[in-house]
Amino acid sequence: MCGIAGILFKHDAPHLNTGRALIDMLDGCQHRGPDSTGFALYEKAHSGQLRLRFFIGEGDDAAQAVERIKHALSDHAARIVEEELIGNNFRVIVDFSGNLQKFSYAIEHAAKVISIGSSLEIVKDVGTADDVDQRYHVHKFEGSHGLGHVRLATESDVKPEASHPFWATGFADIAIVHNGQITNYFKMRRRLERRGFEFTTDNDSELIAVYLADKLSQGITLKEALRTSIEDLDGTFSFLVSTSNEIGYAKDHLAAKPMVMYENDDLVAVASEEVSLNKLFPGQALETREPLPGTYATWSRSI
Amino acid sequence: MVTIDLARIPVRDANERIRSAGEAGENVEVINPDARHHIGVGLTSPITVHVRGSAGYFCAGLTDQATFIIDNNVGWGLGDNIYAGTVIVGGNAGAIPAVGVRGAEIIIKGNMGSRAGQVMKAGTLLCAGNANFMAGYMLYGGRIIILGDSGERVGEDMTGGEIFVGGRVQDLGSDAQLMDMAGEEDESIREFLDRHKIPFSGSFQKIVNAGTKLRYGSPERQMRSIPFFNFGGGSSYWNPKVQEDIHIKAQSGRYRIRGYGTARSLPHLTDLSFARELPDLTGTKDPVSGVNMYTEIGGLHGANPLKLSMPVMVAPMSYGALSRSAKYAIAMGSAMSDIAENTGEGGMSNAQRDAAKQLIFQCLGGRLGWNIHDMKRADGLEIYISQGAKPGLGGQLMAKKVTKELAEIRGIPEGIDLRSPSRHPDILGADDLVIKIEEFREATGYRIPVSVKLGAGRVRDDIKIAVKDGFDFIELDGMQGSTGAGSSEVIDFVGIPTLAAIIEAEEALADIGRRQDTQIVLMGGIRDGVDAVKALCLGADAVAFGTSVIIAGGCIACMQCHVGQCVTGIATQDPKHEGRYHPEVEAKNIHRFFESVRWQIAALTRALGHSDVRELCRDDLVALTPEAARITGLPYKRGSREPHYDTKTA
Repeated sequence: MCGIAGILFKHDAPHLNTGRALIDMLDGCQHRGPDSTGFALYEKAHSGQLRLRFFIGEGDDAAQAVERIKHALSDHAARIVEEELIGNNFRVIVDFSGNLQKFSYAIEHAAKVISIGSSLEIVKDVGTADDVDQRYHVHKFEGSHGLGHVRLATESDVKPEASHPFWATGFADIAIVHNGQITNYFKMRRRLERRGFEFTTDNDSELIAVYLADKLSQGITLKEALRTSIEDLDGTFSFLVSTSNEIGYAKDHLAAKPMVMYENDDLVAVASEEVSLNKLFPGQALETREPLPGTYATWSRSI
Repeated sequence: MVTIDLARIPVRDANERIRSAGEAGENVEVINPDARHHIGVGLTSPITVHVRGSAGYFCAGLTDQATFIIDNNVGWGLGDNIYAGTVIVGGNAGAIPAVGVRGAEIIIKGNMGSRAGQVMKAGTLLCAGNANFMAGYMLYGGRIIILGDSGERVGEDMTGGEIFVGGRVQDLGSDAQLMDMAGEEDESIREFLDRHKIPFSGSFQKIVNAGTKLRYGSPERQMRSIPFFNFGGGSSYWNPKVQEDIHIKAQSGRYRIRGYGTARSLPHLTDLSFARELPDLTGTKDPVSGVNMYTEIGGLHGANPLKLSMPVMVAPMSYGALSRSAKYAIAMGSAMSDIAENTGEGGMSNAQRDAAKQLIFQCLGGRLGWNIHDMKRADGLEIYISQGAKPGLGGQLMAKKVTKELAEIRGIPEGIDLRSPSRHPDILGADDLVIKIEEFREATGYRIPVSVKLGAGRVRDDIKIAVKDGFDFIELDGMQGSTGAGSSEVIDFVGIPTLAAIIEAEEALADIGRRQDTQIVLMGGIRDGVDAVKALCLGADAVAFGTSVIIAGGCIACMQCHVGQCVTGIATQDPKHEGRYHPEVEAKNIHRFFESVRWQIAALTRALGHSDVRELCRDDLVALTPEAARITGLPYKRGSREPHYDTKTA
C-alpha cells in the first residue's frame, strides 16, 4: 500500500538531477506511505567493479557487521576499492569478476544486502523522503534515471529491509517498486524457492523482483518478463522496474492501483498520482495519461 | 470573483474560502492547482468554481448545486457523490469518475479511467473520449454516455440505469445486455450534447441490465421455526436444525439466508470472571453517582468528540434491515440515556436525526443514502470496511424489504434482492483510504470524528492500518455480531470471536506503541453491563450494543429478519407489520435497558475497587476455561483469585 515514482532523463544535459526529482515526486505522494521511503539510483559504472550496500544497524552491531562483510568479501575474491559508513548503511565499491548470483547469495548469508550492481544503489529507510535524503544525501545522485517509493506497511513489518525498492537478487542493476498486493505470493514464492531463489523478507513485493530475476536468468527480455508478469501475478499491482539503462512499468488487469505518466522531449516520469508529476512542473498543467489495465512498457536511454 | 492560489495556501484553507465564497454567492477561480486532491469538496452553494489546471482526487466531491470547470485533468473519484450540479473536465479523468453520483451532469472531454460511474444512482456522466475497464460497474441508475469506445466489461453487474456507447462496444460485463434504443432517448442525448456544445454525429448502442442476477431464482421456504436456543444444534448430530437446513437447500439449491449472529458456542466474554470477591454493595444506595463513566470518543485529531454519559453506544443497524419506527425508537432511547446512535447503511431520516442526541452516519461501499447534507449534520462519520457477522461480505436486503420509499432513499431500483457491494469503489487499499478520510474531513471542516468499522478478520494487521490511516477511533466487531440478513454458513463459520478480536487489537496497538491514544469501541454479542465491564477491562474504550437493543425494543429473536414479515414490526418495511410497533413505548424500554447497563457498569466498577471506568484493567479478570485463558492470556489456575481463595488458609 504505497506510492511509487520513476523518472528517466533522455539526454545527459542539462537535467540529470534524478535524486532531487525523485525526492520531490515522493514528497508529493507521501500521504500514500508514511512508514518508509526508498530510492533506486544509478551511478556511472566502471568495468570490473561492483557497488554494494548493506544494512548494518547501529553501535557494536554495526562494527561487527562491517567486519563480517569485509571477511565475506575477501572470501569471495572481492577487493574493496572504496568504503563508506552512511546512516545505517555500509557502502563499498569492490573489484569483482566472478559469478554474480553465487556471490550475492553468499554475501547475503553474511549480511543484509540492500543492493549489488555495477551502477545501481538502493537507498531505503524508515521515514519520509526528506528524512531519508537528510540521512543519505539522495539529492546528490545525478544518474540518468531511478525509482522511488513511499510505503505504508500493511502485513509485513516497518523495517528498513522490508521497504522498497527491492533488488532482483543476483541480477546486477535491476530494482522494482510496487503498489498493491500480490495474492498468489506464497504459491509463487514456493515455486521460485524450489528453483533455488532466495527471499530475504516476507514482503510480497520482493516476489516481483525475484520473479523478474528468474525470467531474466532464462534469457527473457525485460519487456517480455513484464508481459508474462501480468498473467502470472495475481492480485492488484502497479509496479515499476529499472535496469542500468531503462525503466518500465506493468499494471494489473483490474486497474485497481493508480499510475499516471508524463513524457516530453527531455524526460519520462511515472507516478501513482499526477500531483507527484506536477511537483516537477509547478504551476503547469500537464498532458498526462493513465496506462490501460493489463499493459506494460519500457523506456530506455538512447545511448 | 475570488481568486485562490494553491501555490500559496493549502487545500484545507482553500476549501474554507471556497465555501465562504459560496455563502456570499461569489464565483471562485483556483490557480496553480497542480493536481492537488480534494479541491472544492463539501461545497453546497450554486456558484462556479473554475480550476485553471489539473485537479487531483475527489475534485468536486460531496457537493451539491455548484458548477465546476476544470481546464485540464482530474484524478480518481471526480465528483464523488454529487447531488446536483455540473462538472466539466477539459482533459482526462482518472478512475471512478462520477462514483456514487446522485444526480448531476458530469462532462469529461478527454478519456476516463476504469470503473466510471460505479454505484452511480442518477444524473448523466458523459465522456467524449474512450472509457476504460468496467465502465458502469454496479450502476444503480442514471445514464453514462460514452462517445468513444466502451472499454472492456462495460456495464459489469449494473442493476439499473443505461449506458450509451457511440464508439465500439468492446465487450459486455456480467449481467449486461445490448438493447434497442427509443427515439426519445436519442433525442435527449442529442439535446444534452448540443447544450454542452459537444459535436457528435455517430449513432449509439444502448446497454442495460440483463436481469439475470437481480433476484434469487426461487424464494427460500420457511419449514418450521426453530428458536435461537435450539438453533446452535446442541449435542445431537443430525439435529432438527441440520435437518431443516438440508430440507430447505434441497428445495432452493443454494446457501441459506437468515438474520442474527452466530448460534454456535464460541469462546466469549462469558468465559471470563472477575479476579476478586465482590464486596456487598447493599448499603450503597447509588453506585452510579460514585463512578465516573463519562467518556469522550473521537477527539484524537482535534474533531469534536462524541460525548457519552457512559462508555456505551448503539451499534450500526440500517434503516432497511429495520423499520423506520424501530430506528426512531432506538434514536429516542439512545438520547434518553445520553449515548450515541448509528444510522447503519440505509441513510439518515429527519426523525432519527432529530430524536438522536448524537448520531454516527455510516458510509458503505454502495453509498446507499450517503450524502453531504446528512454528513454535515452527523456527529460522527463511520467508514464501514466489514462487519463481524459476515466479514468480507456486503449487506443483503431481500426484495420484500426494498420498498418504493426505501429504494428512493438508497437511490436503487425497487424490489430487487439487494446485495450491497462488499468493497468501496474508491478504497482499494490503505493508501486510497488515507485520501478518502481526508475527503470527509475536508468536506465537513475537520469538525466531525471519522471512524472505521472493522469486522474481525486479520485484526492485528487491520488495526495497525487503521491507526496509520489516521482514524479518530476504531469500531471493532467480533463474530458474535448480528446482521439483518446473511448467508447462514458465513454467519456461523466465518470470523474471529469478539474475545479474540479485542486481544489481538490490544496486541497490535502495543506493537506500534499506540495503546495510549487509540480508542477502540468493541461490539459483537455484548449483552449486558457485565459483558461491557469485561470488554472495558480487556482494553476497549467503549462498547456498542446492537442485538440487545432491538431485543429490549421488542424483538423475539426468531431470526427471520431477512424475510421482511417481522411480526414485531422491527425488521420489516411492510406498513401492516410496522403498525404494530410503538416507537414511544419501545424507546422507553430501550432506555430502561441502557439504564440497567449503566447500573451494572457502575456497580461492578465500584465493586472492583475503582471510581472511574478508565481504571478497569486486565488484572480485574480471570479466565474460566483453559480456552479463554489461552486466548486472553489471563490466569486460569487455582489461587489466581485473590486473596482468600488459597485453599491452605481457607
